[in-house]
Amino acid sequence: MSQLKKILDKGDLAVTAECGPPKGADPEAIFKKAELLRGKADAINVTDNQTATVRMSSLAACGLLISAGLDPVLQVVVRDRNRIALQSDILGASAMGIRNVLCLSGDHQSFGNQPQTMGVFDLDSIQFIQVVKTMRDEGTIWGGEPLTKSPELFIGAVANPFADPLGFRPVRLAKKIRAGADFIQTQCVYNLDRFEEWMNMARERGLTEQVNILAGVTPLKSSNMAKYMKKRVSGIDIPDELIKRMEETPKNRQRETGINICVETIQRLKEIQGIRGFHIMAIEWEEAVGEIVGRAGLLPRPSFDQD
Amino acid sequence: MITAEQKPIDEIREMIAPYKRILALGCGSCVAECAAGGEKETAMLASTLRMAAKIDGRDLLIHEKTVDRQCVKDFILPLDDIIDQYDAVLSLGCGAGVQAVAEIFPDVPIMPALNTEFIGETRDQGYWVENCVGCGDCVLYDFGGICPLTRCSKRLLNGPCGGSRDGKCEVDPEVPCAWQLIIERLSKFNALDRLEKIYQPKDWSMKQGLGPRNIIREDQQR
Amino acid sequence: MKSALKLETGCNHDMDENREQKLALFYCERTPESSEQDKQSLEKKYGNSIRLFPIPCSGRIESLHLLRALEEFADAAYLITCPEGECRYFEGNLRAKKRVQKAQEIIKSIGLEGERIGIVMNEHTKSLARQAEEIMGSISHLCPSPVLHPHRS
Repeated sequence: MSQLKKILDKGDLAVTAECGPPKGADPEAIFKKAELLRGKADAINVTDNQTATVRMSSLAACGLLISAGLDPVLQVVVRDRNRIALQSDILGASAMGIRNVLCLSGDHQSFGNQPQTMGVFDLDSIQFIQVVKTMRDEGTIWGGEPLTKSPELFIGAVANPFADPLGFRPVRLAKKIRAGADFIQTQCVYNLDRFEEWMNMARERGLTEQVNILAGVTPLKSSNMAKYMKKRVSGIDIPDELIKRMEETPKNRQRETGINICVETIQRLKEIQGIRGFHIMAIEWEEAVGEIVGRAGLLPRPSFDQD
Repeated sequence: MITAEQKPIDEIREMIAPYKRILALGCGSCVAECAAGGEKETAMLASTLRMAAKIDGRDLLIHEKTVDRQCVKDFILPLDDIIDQYDAVLSLGCGAGVQAVAEIFPDVPIMPALNTEFIGETRDQGYWVENCVGCGDCVLYDFGGICPLTRCSKRLLNGPCGGSRDGKCEVDPEVPCAWQLIIERLSKFNALDRLEKIYQPKDWSMKQGLGPRNIIREDQQR
Repeated sequence: MKSALKLETGCNHDMDENREQKLALFYCERTPESSEQDKQSLEKKYGNSIRLFPIPCSGRIESLHLLRALEEFADAAYLITCPEGECRYFEGNLRAKKRVQKAQEIIKSIGLEGERIGIVMNEHTKSLARQAEEIMGSISHLCPSPVLHPHRS
């Protein structure tokens, strides 16, 4: 059973963190990160060739996390696999004991290190959610042919309250829920006003009751990182006051400020009705997760019994 | 229309190197519209290649001829009268035209002078843009006349993705987000609720076919 | 004489001792002092070295005309237009500029100097004869076109 699901079903705040696989075949890279995150999060997302950059497959890395006694969230993008491969991976994931899957579109292939490849996009993320739900609840593949055993998976999707067009975002969220999403992880939050606006719209539609929303947070490492993200990464909204705050901090204390901002953000997010937990994306800074979770009053995490 | 662009001149020169008597064959349809292979462009390319040959001190005869449409058998057949004068054809047709000519004259080497690109429109003078991928099952009505398969970089049928920013696509700030356009268009028609339903996975077999797709119409046959 | 010329100009083609550049000169009919009479007296003065092509508006020039001129007989092909902003058909000279640029790109792609093709947007409304003289001067450093006089090894 998914640890994440267990905690959310109980009505407690859940914590998930992120783990990026290595650009190589060494399993130690995963095990090292696993130890940094053990006991600090309820489930650990493993990204799927993020930024269209070739890395160890998410499915394999999740398998390694299972063997390390953790509860992974398998991230799957629709950019690289057709519906045969996607459904096949879902069956394989469940067979290996993976109990959570996050369905995403994926960054466009032109962003990564294989820009000449063909982007598959056979299904989109919402259709994929629907397919996984069909496999789990109806025991068939897409098209109706029965499975010998249904996969057991807690289904997640991503929401981006900061992307355009803003007015349409709640419609998209509703579609993901209708397609079968059990939980949502949002893009990282810096602009709390805008995030609250989105949450209000979601709440008005009754969506916060239908799905578990985990707010995403990412600690800023430096003022440069803040500026880069604001300018270059779509779907991230960092208010100028935060940039200023980072810039005014001396370089050797910027990490500390980044963590402070992250903890403050979590405290404010706790106040928002409908937030069921937090998704901490400390990219290549997994050590920070423990400190953030601790200072935000979210430790200890409930123990995990793998069954 | 089908759009194309002329190959780099060095590539063309390399292709024609083994031949001494070439027919440069233009097309008066799509490639003329996008100024790549019409009568004018064929004349320009032929002149350029002749000059290049002269500079190299090479013997080269290039004649120019343009047919109305290079992809229609009936327009190609009349070339039969002159084809024997040449040892190769340099076609400025799109890929369909090149192959149609090759089909009628299988013993004559044929070289493509163009890189065929996409089905698109002339949105403005000197500006052509792709707008159809030939999926074989047109869904334009559902999306207010804007094709998400062509104009969304991820072919999403339930878009937009999280990369839509200021109405532009994450892959290129010049590229409009198709889903932004679709939402705006459907809003205009008060049909935005059309996007509330989950659009089902596409049947791509209509696009792939079993081998090259074809259409047979008995009512059109001789 | 031949070898001295070779050293001076760096041209590595055989050259006739008295050979002059051949220019194809296209010009808008509104160029000052470009009547039929002016044309004839110019042709008389320059003999074979300049061939003149009056056109109703410089916008009627096609890149093809310039290429064909170089292919057939000219070491250089130039176009005289009305000053910017003063084309009788408003944009003719601007279109012409783009076509000249296109033709220049094409000849550069096969190894010819871009200056063999040029455009003069008649800033000071000089006479045709004066323009012709200036253009001849500006192309005098060019070797005879390798299209017309292939390198003999």
